[in-house]
Order: sequence, then structure tokens, then C-alpha cells
Amino acid sequence: MITVKDVKRIYQTGETEVNALKGVSLNIEKGEFMSIAGPSGSGKTTLLNLIGCIDQMDEGDISIKNEHVSKMKKKEKTNFRRKNLGFIFQTYNLIPVLTAYENVAFVLSLLNLSEKEVKDRTMAILKEVGLEGMENRRPGKLSGGQQQRVAIARALVKNPEIILADEPTANLDSDTGKEILELMKRMNEKHNTTFIFSTHDKMVMDYASRLVILHDGQIQSDEKR
Amino acid sequence: MKFLISLAFKNLTRYKRRTLITAGAIAFGLMMYIFVDSLLLGIEIESVRNLKWFETASARILNDDYWENRFQRPLDINIADPDSIMSKLDDNGISSTKRVEFSGDLILNSTDFGEDGNMSVLVTAVDTERDFDVFKFDTTLQEGRFLEADDDAVILGSWLAEDIGAELGYWITIVTRGNGGFYEAMDLEIVGIVNCPNPNVNRTLIMMPIDVADEYLAMEGAATEISIKLPESADIDAEVIRIQGLLNGDGLTVMSWKSMAADYLAIAEAKRGGTGMILFLIFLIAAVGISNTMLMAIFERIRELGMMRSLGMSDKKIRIAFMIEAAGIGLIGSIMGVFLGLIVNFFVVKYGINYGDMYRDMDIGYRVQAIIRGAWNFKTMGIAFFAGIFISTLVAFFPTKRALKMDIPSCLRHQ
Repeated sequence: MITVKDVKRIYQTGETEVNALKGVSLNIEKGEFMSIAGPSGSGKTTLLNLIGCIDQMDEGDISIKNEHVSKMKKKEKTNFRRKNLGFIFQTYNLIPVLTAYENVAFVLSLLNLSEKEVKDRTMAILKEVGLEGMENRRPGKLSGGQQQRVAIARALVKNPEIILADEPTANLDSDTGKEILELMKRMNEKHNTTFIFSTHDKMVMDYASRLVILHDGQIQSDEKR
Repeated sequence: MKFLISLAFKNLTRYKRRTLITAGAIAFGLMMYIFVDSLLLGIEIESVRNLKWFETASARILNDDYWENRFQRPLDINIADPDSIMSKLDDNGISSTKRVEFSGDLILNSTDFGEDGNMSVLVTAVDTERDFDVFKFDTTLQEGRFLEADDDAVILGSWLAEDIGAELGYWITIVTRGNGGFYEAMDLEIVGIVNCPNPNVNRTLIMMPIDVADEYLAMEGAATEISIKLPESADIDAEVIRIQGLLNGDGLTVMSWKSMAADYLAIAEAKRGGTGMILFLIFLIAAVGISNTMLMAIFERIRELGMMRSLGMSDKKIRIAFMIEAAGIGLIGSIMGVFLGLIVNFFVVKYGINYGDMYRDMDIGYRVQAIIRGAWNFKTMGIAFFAGIFISTLVAFFPTKRALKMDIPSCLRHQ
């Protein structure tokens, strides 16, 4: 489903060049629950950003659903992300002035769906992630775990085939982190959605059905469980 | 679009104080714009009115050669039979009056004035029966009485009277040259002092009866001008052509007040341009304020911007969302600004601003003195209202564009 072929990414920091990825190759199948792990600076977020079509590689190729995203123009990437990818962020990145419902419905509003469909799908996904009755609360009135649930609902509501999560539990305590991982796992199994998440948390790694460890911009190990 | 509008207006409540401060800056700019425009319009309306009521009338009939020699005040370039022309104008329902304008030396005698002195003056001899039909001096009497026929008397403008220390009952002598070039001296009693709202007139006015001047100056019934009053609603250029037609080309010409006051109108136009620059600067300051607020609002939400872009929101929609937000600030500012403008305007129109002390010793071109009143101009208020919204929206474009130039990972990393 996702093919990453000899991808290189070099960042320019002042006069210094940083090789974030030094020729990474991967094949990811549909429905995988995959973790990209490694120490800080190993290149896991860069790889996630490249698969998520929000960064530009310097060399190599990435194809998702047989589409070469590396060759897409900016607008095409935006459209591709809108239709095919869901994102979960470490700091949730919810819009503070919108309610939980509105934060989730926002994604569907980009797809030009009818109001009824937006409402039905949003309410259904909020129920699924355990936020029934909290639709009208703003992020400020929700706990960290609840906010991350809203973010998961936001990522899932458009039924994307791939969800990318950058350190989704890093801002949560271990119990809440576990709850979130279980929720993600459940959604992965129920909807057969491919989950790719970066982490350096041992507990998160244990949940993954495939663990890719990066070190200095290269794959150190790739273990399927 | 519904979502974008809803998001933009919710974001306005996010930083209430900042929104209000920026909207306040816009409101102040618009209020100033409305205030200055009202004052300028008021001055212009009053200035033109005072020009016509006390200086030029609506139009004037002159000898063909008079206008180009007007600064010499020639008595021999005149209208030989003004009465027949005025009679023709009367038949056509047009109010008119004849006048003789001449220059001379005003001699002040120590008996009345405490010390001897003299100064160059301009004297206007008026038809005591008809002058009020055209000019509005009847409302300006401050002391004494108006002129009567066969009166060896003068009326002075109050500022001139004050400058020379004149009082009712004092006598002045005017030395001039009559029609034909002979010297003549006239002893005249000050019987009235008028306070004319036109400062140029109030500063120089010496008025005497035309029949007395006719005798002293040997005018033999001639006048240097016939002043005409036309209704305010009249098409002045069309009326000038019509009156010119009535004259049958007797070597006379009709000039509208616009032609006579061309210099004043040009200065007023130039002043409008200068004021336009000031108003532009006021708007510019407001625009910089909004731009700064939007810049802060956008850069505080860079991560949010990154999230929206990641989820597939197009740059165009993000730009629209921020521009709607800025338009919202503009809308609040415009409502506040027009409301404040209405309040300020009410006081400026009703009570005005007293510039009397300033105008007393200074000629700024406008024919107004003492209290300057504003005028209602709803067109300006409409322009101010929409300009506030438009400028706010426009200035949000640039910081948004700048923020959208950042790549998405940098946006997501932004602290």
C-alpha cells in the first residue's frame, strides 16, 4: 500500500547540512499498526512527514495506493491528504474556539458533504471514541486524554486508509496513554485503517504489530510481530 | 464557507481585548475621518454661502472691460444705465441691485480718533432701497442703523471699526478720484457697524449710499456693477446664459460667482487635496494597526495553521478564513467608528467650534469667522464604514500570505 524507496532528506541548518534520512526503504501493508521508533534526531518524524505528504524529500520515491506522492504538486498533495490521510499530533492541535463536535466536523466540511452526513458521521465517531455527551465542550474543558480522543475522532471521521500519528501519547500519563493506544488499536482492527506512529516510548512500541527502529536516519531494525 | 465564517467570528472572541483595541483604532480613524470631513464640508458650505451673501452675490453684470481692470476700480468703465437693466431683470423675476465700488484714502481725524492717520480702503456704494434684496447685511447690524438715501454716512465692518478705533457718530474723510479723474473728498458720519460673517468683508467693509457717491463722483447714474441674486437651486451657468441673453449685447458681461471666486475655489480644492492626504494617513495608521494585529494573530496560531494544512485545508481557504476574521475586526471598528462619528458630528453640526480668535488676525481663505459648524454627510459615513471593512480585509492578506510560505513541518514545530 505504501512504498518508501531509498528516501533521503537533508536539512540545511545555517551553514550545516543535516542528513535526517539517509536512504530509507520500506513497504507498508494495508491495516498495519506500525510504530517507527528511535532516539531524538533519528529521523522518525521526518519519515512520517514525508509519508504524510507534508514535507519534500531530496531523493527517492514514495508511492501510496500506487500514486507517486513525491511527484505531486502542492495542490495535488493537499487534495491527496484531504481525501486519504488522517493525522494525530502529540499536542492534539485542536482549535480552541471550537467544540469537540466542531473540531471533528471541520475535517468533513473540507469534503463538501451534506450537513446531515457531517452530523451523523461526527456524532457516530465521537460515540465510538467514548466522547458521547461531550460534543459541546471546548478543548479547554477536556482532559488531555479526552482531547487526544477528539484528535483521533478527527483523524478517523473521514474514513482514511492511513492515519499518521506523531508521538500520540507523549503528552499523556501512562494510564491515559494506554487507553489511547487501545482505542487506536481497536479502530485499526474495526476499520482496517493503517496506523503509522512515531514514538520513543517502550509501551507504545509493545502495542505495535510492526516495529521499525531508526538510527541516524537509517533503518536499524524492522520487526513484524 | 459557512464553517469559515463561523470559525473566523469565533476566533474574534479568542483575544477579546486585542480585537477591541484594534477595532478601537479603526473606530478612531473613521471617527476622525467623519469629523474632519464634516467640518470641511461645513466650512465649504458656509464659506460659499457667505461669499454669495456678502461678496459676490450669485452673479454680477459688469462692463465687458471691467473684470480685467478690476484691481484699479475704474469708475469710467461702467454700466451707463443700470436702472433700465434692473427693470428688465425685475420683469423676469430676477432680484438685482446696483453698486459702485471705488478705492480711496481713508483719513482719520484726531478730533474723533485721538490721532491723525490714513489708510487705503475700498468703498462700496449701495442702493439703500434694493441692496437687501440681494445681499444679507440686514441680519448683521451690530450697532447703530442702516444707511438711508441722501445720507452722508457710512457703515463699517466691525473688525475694521475695531482696528481704527471707530465708534458711532465719528466722522471720517475719504479722498478719492471721481469719474473723469478729479480729486474729491467726502466727509461721512459712521452711523452703523455691522458684524459680517464673511471675515474678508468684515475686515474691510466701508459702505455708503449710492446716490451720495453718485453726486460726489459724478457717476451720472452709472454703476460699476449690478449684483444679482438667484435661487440656491438654480442652475447658475444656465441662468448666466439666460441673463446674458436679456442684455442684448450692450457691451456688458454676466459673471457667475464661480467665475469671480475662481481663486477661492482653486484654493479650496487644493486644501481638500491636503486634507485628503491627512485622512489617508489616518487610514494608513489604522491599516498598520490591523496588519500588526493580524500578524500577531496569525503567528500565534502557526501550529494550528500547520494542522489545518495537514488535514487538507487549502491555502486559499485558510487565507479566506483569516481575511474574514480581519473583516470582522473591520466591521466592529466600522460600526463603532460610524457611531462615534455620528455623536461627534451631532455636536459639531449643532454647536460648532469657535475659531473666532484665530480667524480675527489671519486670512486662511475660507469665508467663515468665529463658529465653524460641520455638515451631515451620510455618503462619507457610508464610505468610511465600507472602507474600514475593506482595508481591514486587505491588510490581512499580506501576513497570511507570509505565514503560508512556511512549510507545514515548520508550522507544526512552531512554539
